[in-house]
Amino acid sequence: MARVDFKDMVKFAEEIMVRHKLFEGYELIPLETYLGKDTRPAWEFKTPMATGFYKPYLIKGCDKIEKVTIGELHYMNRAKYCAINMTASDDYDLPVFACEWDEMAPRIGVTTDFMPVLDIAVHPEYREKYLDPLGGLWRKYRTIPGFTIENRCLLQRRYGPWPWARETLSPYSLDGKVEEKEDRYRVLEATVEYARVWLNLLKKAEPIRDSAYKEEMLRRKRTMQKYYRDRDPGGEVLKKIFGEEKAHLFVSLIF
Amino acid sequence: MGGSREWTPYRDRMKEVLDQMGMRELGEWKGKDIRKAGEFSRGTVRGGLRAYTAEKAEKIALGDFTINGELHYGLCTIIPGEEYDLPIFISRWEERESEIGILVDIMPAVDSLIDEEYRKKYLESVEPLWNRFANLPGICPEEDDVLRALCSIVYTAARVPIENPGMRLAALAPHTEYLKAYLAFFKDAAPIGGEIKKRETKRKREAIRKILSARYREILQGPLGVSLKSDIAELIPHIFF
Repeated sequence: MARVDFKDMVKFAEEIMVRHKLFEGYELIPLETYLGKDTRPAWEFKTPMATGFYKPYLIKGCDKIEKVTIGELHYMNRAKYCAINMTASDDYDLPVFACEWDEMAPRIGVTTDFMPVLDIAVHPEYREKYLDPLGGLWRKYRTIPGFTIENRCLLQRRYGPWPWARETLSPYSLDGKVEEKEDRYRVLEATVEYARVWLNLLKKAEPIRDSAYKEEMLRRKRTMQKYYRDRDPGGEVLKKIFGEEKAHLFVSLIF
Repeated sequence: MGGSREWTPYRDRMKEVLDQMGMRELGEWKGKDIRKAGEFSRGTVRGGLRAYTAEKAEKIALGDFTINGELHYGLCTIIPGEEYDLPIFISRWEERESEIGILVDIMPAVDSLIDEEYRKKYLESVEPLWNRFANLPGICPEEDDVLRALCSIVYTAARVPIENPGMRLAALAPHTEYLKAYLAFFKDAAPIGGEIKKRETKRKREAIRKILSARYREILQGPLGVSLKSDIAELIPHIFF
């Protein structure tokens, strides 16, 4: 089993923004208020136990975005809890792009996915439009050691045990535990490639015109957001470090 | 194994579990005679596909066939009665000499992300089985994107390598165990209370059946359908979905 020292752990935000230039061609504008709250306390934080940032943005000239958040929480020089989230505004039915990246010396625990905001059994056209474009990437990256071990592909066996979280996943989630250092970088590459697909879909997205469809979409979207904001065990850790109010802000930005 | 190989008794084992339902065999379904599929032989293909009905169930379908001594394909579906919110049961069996592909699931009749009560009742209660079969050799996501998109959070799929004869029965166990767990829901199932929930379950079940039928029609355009001959291939979506 590989062990990666804290200093050698993936520089998540830097890798995505600088090395992979995910947002090249987009101008990110800081999102100063979210859900009526000042987001600035999240932009940079430092406590005896944790340092880091959760930076929320909008995209200049694009009214289709609710938020783009990228962040890292470094915990006692032992672990990094990183995330990138891209959520479309309520007039658009794009899936939620989410990556949770928890890195410790022996492994990362990661989930990267387009979480559908509609029931894809009832709306197969939604799956075809927004999720099936991930098919090639999913097949390419599902073989990363950790996602697949000795011919057993564990992607359906989410590392987190919570049924509500599994319910939010698409058929193309990349989800599991990965150990080796070079494989962690491959997962990051997969995350960036998924994000690029999402940004391309964003360009083509049209506002929803059917009010019943929109109501259905918002119901599911709100349920997902509520689950992650209220139930994600990471939220409990944040509460201990930052207190209830700040923790709620941070979790809302991450999901 | 040669041409006379012994296949895993998928159909018999599933039927043994299903018999507790007190099923009555159907000779036709929606105006189409299905009796010729009951036991059939077409060239190197032999098999039997049957549909039944039972209390609280609209249709129960079970069957299998072998092709040229190289493939043993089995399928079982249960479509609950419209008055009940029960999930759809599906089991697929693809047995070859060196590997068995399996899929077994309980597909929810509502959006189980939103309907937590439903999820706890019908899906989370099956999680012990989902966990039990997690260590099955060859465990993997369902390969077919369309089918995987319909699957619940507790589906089990695998491509089980056959390294010894015992592996065949190990691959069969998820099917019979999920089926037993599923049938236990029937005993207590009561008619759906409200019109909204009734509409929701009807809508979702119809959507699932439509997708499954269409997907199987596509699959049967390929080598599987060619081997089966068109008259039987055409009946498969009709009988099972």
